Amino acid sequence: MEAVKAAAAVNGADLVRRCRAGDGAAWEEIVSTFSRRIFNLAFRFTSSVEAAEDLTQEVFIRIYKTLGQYDAKQGDLSNWLMRLARNLIIDDYRHRQRNPQNTMAEDVEEHTFHLKAVGGSMQKEMERRETARQVQEGIDKLPTDLRTCVILRDLEELSYQEIVELLKIPEGTVKSRINRGRIELAKILRRMRVVNM
Amino acid sequence: MNYQDEKNIDCSGFEEHLTDYLDGVLERGTHKAVAAHALRCPLCHSLLNEVKAALEVCHEIAVPKQPLTKLEARILAVTMPETAMPCAEFEDYLTDYMDGFLPAALFHRWERHAVLCEKCTDLPGEVVRSIAACYTYKMDELPLPEGLHAKILQTTIGTENAKAMKASWNSQIGEWIRSWSFPILVPQFAPVAMMFIFAVFILAQTISADGSISGMYQKSFELAEQTYQQGAGILGGENAQQNPNREPVQGTFVNEGN
Repeated sequence: MEAVKAAAAVNGADLVRRCRAGDGAAWEEIVSTFSRRIFNLAFRFTSSVEAAEDLTQEVFIRIYKTLGQYDAKQGDLSNWLMRLARNLIIDDYRHRQRNPQNTMAEDVEEHTFHLKAVGGSMQKEMERRETARQVQEGIDKLPTDLRTCVILRDLEELSYQEIVELLKIPEGTVKSRINRGRIELAKILRRMRVVNM
Repeated sequence: MNYQDEKNIDCSGFEEHLTDYLDGVLERGTHKAVAAHALRCPLCHSLLNEVKAALEVCHEIAVPKQPLTKLEARILAVTMPETAMPCAEFEDYLTDYMDGFLPAALFHRWERHAVLCEKCTDLPGEVVRSIAACYTYKMDELPLPEGLHAKILQTTIGTENAKAMKASWNSQIGEWIRSWSFPILVPQFAPVAMMFIFAVFILAQTISADGSISGMYQKSFELAEQTYQQGAGILGGENAQQNPNREPVQGTFVNEGN
């Protein structure tokens, strides 16, 4: 959430102009503002820190090469950059699903989360970590198309229309996948005893 | 027993007839005797008020507050079986229900299924809690792995010390000019802009004495003055023939130098 707030405060047009001119500090500001958000998005699709790290790096290389195409009149930098990142991460995710031998995903059980403590007792913090781990595990178990839609809607909080534009599929399909994905995720989390009555 | 006289009723008799009194089923004389005793005896008066209050509470809680009870749903399912909803359809409409997009008829069928079907009754709550769990997960972002920031800078600009990389004056000026360049906002205006530039060029070459835009401007002033004088002369009754030196303004003007 902090990364989202930081991204919102950036003066995109000025930063991009300085980057184009070759100002390293401006590029560093873009990297430090958006890297955490992009890394987290990549992790949700890959479930692997190493794969998410590689993917984040690839996304930034692409962003650096296409900075010249950014037009401030067509939207702010945050939207442009995150749209580009989502496209690349989803393309990579689809590619890895088609070629499972290339997958770098590790067993999510082995992954250690380093969640930031925001107050509260140690026990609460542990519970939060456990819930986060289980939610990611539940999302990993969803079929590819449902998983993409659930992440974009419930974690990235995109509108139906934005998902339609991103995935280039009809709105009815998007709605039905979100609905099916939510139900499947709820059933998985119920079996894992994350959501109980 | 007939209580014609209020003196005939005591506290035990009052208690004995209390329920009938409140239900209004006592004979007139007895009813009056019980009422008179309640007014006379403070203990029985208090008892009467307590029982009345208790009955009011019972009436209030007896009214069902839920929009759709299980019984109501069951009755409708038996009497209108054609409106029953299968589980698959129920799941299909779950997000629309939560978003509030279901039309009234469908909404009621959906709710009826949620109340009656034991398999589905917990599902909406579970989906809501699952979305809430996603939201909690979203709020807890992973920190960046150590070294990733430096790696990105290294692969993109070739150095980890980005601040040392300064933009040259030439590129800064170039970018500054680029940011101030006047863009044609609507592409359809491009031919219009071209025609305008071409027209200025032609006029400058034909009207202007020296081929410049300022010459064209000067000549247009002269022509305007000449036109004004002609107009003023006509209005003042002056005949154009009486002033042979004054030529009428023609449609096309040629460079005077030619």
